[in-house]
Amino acid sequence: MSYFLTQLANGLSYGLILGLIAVGFVIVFTSTGVLNFAHGSVLLTGAYLVAVLHDPIGFWAAVVVGIAGAALLGVLINAVLVRNLAEANPGTAAILMLGVDILLLTELTRRIGNRVLPIGAPWGADVVTLGGVTLPTSRAVAAGLAVLVFGLLWFLFARTGFGVAMRAAAADGDTASLMGIRLSRTGAAGWALAGALAAIAGIFLASFPAPGVAPALAISAFAAIPAWVLGGFDSVVGAIVGGLIIGVVTALAVGYETQLHFLGRGLGEVVPYAVMILVLLVRPSGLFGREEAVRA
Amino acid sequence: MPDPLLSVEDLTVEYGGAVRALRGVSLSVEAGSVVAVLGSNGAGKTTLLRAVSQSLGSVGGRVTAGRVRFDGRDLARHDASAAVRAGLVQVPEGRRIFRDLTVEENLRAGGYTVRDARARRAATERVFRLFPILAERRHQRGGLLSGGQQQMLAMGRALMTSPKLLLLDEPSLGLAPQLVEQIGDIIEQIHAQGTSVLLIEQNAAMGLRVADRAYVLEVGVVSTRGSSAELAATDEIRDRYLGVAAPDTDHVVQDAPPAAAAHLQRSTPARAQELRVEDLTVRFGGITALSGVSFTVGAGTVHALIGPNGAGKSTCINVLGGAYRATSGTVHYGDAAVTSLPAHRIADLGVARTFQNISLSLEASVEDNLLVGRHRVMRTRTSAQALRLPRARREERAERAAVRRIADLLGIAPLLDRAVHTLSYGDRKRVEMGRALASEPTLLLLDEPVAGMTHGESAVMADAIRAVQRELGLSVLLVEHDMPFVMGLAERVTVLDFGKRIAEGTPREVQRDPEVLRAYLGTAAA
Repeated sequence: MSYFLTQLANGLSYGLILGLIAVGFVIVFTSTGVLNFAHGSVLLTGAYLVAVLHDPIGFWAAVVVGIAGAALLGVLINAVLVRNLAEANPGTAAILMLGVDILLLTELTRRIGNRVLPIGAPWGADVVTLGGVTLPTSRAVAAGLAVLVFGLLWFLFARTGFGVAMRAAAADGDTASLMGIRLSRTGAAGWALAGALAAIAGIFLASFPAPGVAPALAISAFAAIPAWVLGGFDSVVGAIVGGLIIGVVTALAVGYETQLHFLGRGLGEVVPYAVMILVLLVRPSGLFGREEAVRA
Repeated sequence: MPDPLLSVEDLTVEYGGAVRALRGVSLSVEAGSVVAVLGSNGAGKTTLLRAVSQSLGSVGGRVTAGRVRFDGRDLARHDASAAVRAGLVQVPEGRRIFRDLTVEENLRAGGYTVRDARARRAATERVFRLFPILAERRHQRGGLLSGGQQQMLAMGRALMTSPKLLLLDEPSLGLAPQLVEQIGDIIEQIHAQGTSVLLIEQNAAMGLRVADRAYVLEVGVVSTRGSSAELAATDEIRDRYLGVAAPDTDHVVQDAPPAAAAHLQRSTPARAQELRVEDLTVRFGGITALSGVSFTVGAGTVHALIGPNGAGKSTCINVLGGAYRATSGTVHYGDAAVTSLPAHRIADLGVARTFQNISLSLEASVEDNLLVGRHRVMRTRTSAQALRLPRARREERAERAAVRRIADLLGIAPLLDRAVHTLSYGDRKRVEMGRALASEPTLLLLDEPVAGMTHGESAVMADAIRAVQRELGLSVLLVEHDMPFVMGLAERVTVLDFGKRIAEGTPREVQRDPEVLRAYLGTAAA
């Protein structure tokens, strides 16, 4: 039983981290209409900054720089590339983002080489045990912080004028601009938020039990794509729930791999996509997605 | 004389460098006045408002000459946001409220540019005083409001910045007569509180009632201008926009031009049949949209369904066309039970429909959209078409000719090559009607066919419907708020309110029914 609970706690905390990444995908998509395939390398940039800076300036200062750097990178990608696209075509923007991802990843790979940079977090390789459930301290901190971040996001979108303006711009940009809402501002804010969330997720994905920052970290952002899609593409709540589902399912598939041996090895990598496809078969617009069919 | 609050000088606007929507338009709005702009569809009215509010960019338009001066400032080179901050707010056509945001959040988005929290609260209070219903529903999502309430929300949202000038684009579009009157009163109140208004309105009677001055826009130029009283007295305005001909049924029908010579022919011997709706009930979740509604549309007749916004009219059309499922009750077309068929099988019975919110391929040309409608009657196989066999080419020529006849009939022949997204709302309505006709239906379901049209245009539409009814012998069931149109065209009228049938009869009978006057027509029709 405690083995099951441990796997579950692992899955939930991993799911919350995936949720942070998936929410970034959602916010960029709703605020600028871009499928941000460069999200993974933005995440890696944030984690890389923390890894190289924690020694000279201290971990917490490095975290601030990492988050700010990833946010700034997002804003720059939006301002320099996305906003200057001649035709605002989602397909073109998505391909452009793939190109950006390759460029950033190449540069970061050149800098990191085949090293694995330690993230230098104070929780190191500690574990916490509570009632027979054992969890790496990094994961426990991640879970608490993610919940706090989601609470702040709720406050932003539901309680502040700028957050409501962001939702209005996401719902109908043309009309929102008639209200005096500047789409350039809401777009920039969306990219900044997404970058910051990615950096936070990156720090925890590079913490124990992972060895540290390596180029492969960028790929881990793609694990959040099934969470994003099954949550419904344009729903923040959906992305969080999607992250939790994918996190738990992945953790259980890995934890019980020996019992699930007849399905072959490496099930954990396949299972998120299988879950995504199953959900989409039943609900084509995702769990929380806006339904395509409107009142005729 | 002080400078006018808004002055538009020699304004020329082009779309995509090709279509000239406005040519040298000049217009002014004095501080503290209400100015109305009348004009047919495609005359450039919405373009004018967008040029003033600096929001042409998002629809691909560009000012190529002329100036827009507001409150002593040239607005060119500023964006829509700067215009809002200067005190000029536009309420877009079709309301465009944020459906997933609550009423309060919609207002908050509207007041985004107001930095001072106290001023924002005061503005919210004022909007709630003006529209008490919005205060009642402040926590409800905008999408759940009825059409009239959505219009109020759209206006309230714009008033959140306490603008000097309010631009209204067709505030009465798709609203029941009683609500149109109410919106007119509200515009007068807004004006009385010191806000100037520039108003586009297809309902010229309402527009001229609330406005001090009016302009008539025709194909991109101002053709007439003057005080509302002067304009209301000219014959041309009376004919084309006001429709002074009292809704006297017999008179209108006799006056209809004999056989508008559409030369439409059926390629199949299909005949119209009787449509019987029996005890129809539709529920969505906890809401009962229709309860126990029955009526019969005789073969080859025109039948109208009227009633307040939210009465269940569109729901009824949606069940008949197969888009919604009935909770209980039956609908028979001839011998076929429509209620148990999927939408494409219903189309095969010869039932064609148009949509309230228009459903066309926006990038495709008008001609292509109409050709899609021919799909049901085309004969040659896809393989023959792909190989361009002579038979297929002959058929294509014949189809294009058939489409042209329909376009002539509806007055959209000059638009055949235009992409649909460049057309105005009313013209899209006509294209949609054309697509429905192209499938050679025996029963035509029309959801608000003349919404957003001037009186003159809706008269053309009425003639077209009469012509196709006569030549193709089809039945028509229509939902519409334009009473002169309904009363002049329909043989029978069914009135719905809160999902129930409250009256049925000839237009004359229904018009005198006290229940109908109370629920729907209001005092204006009495």
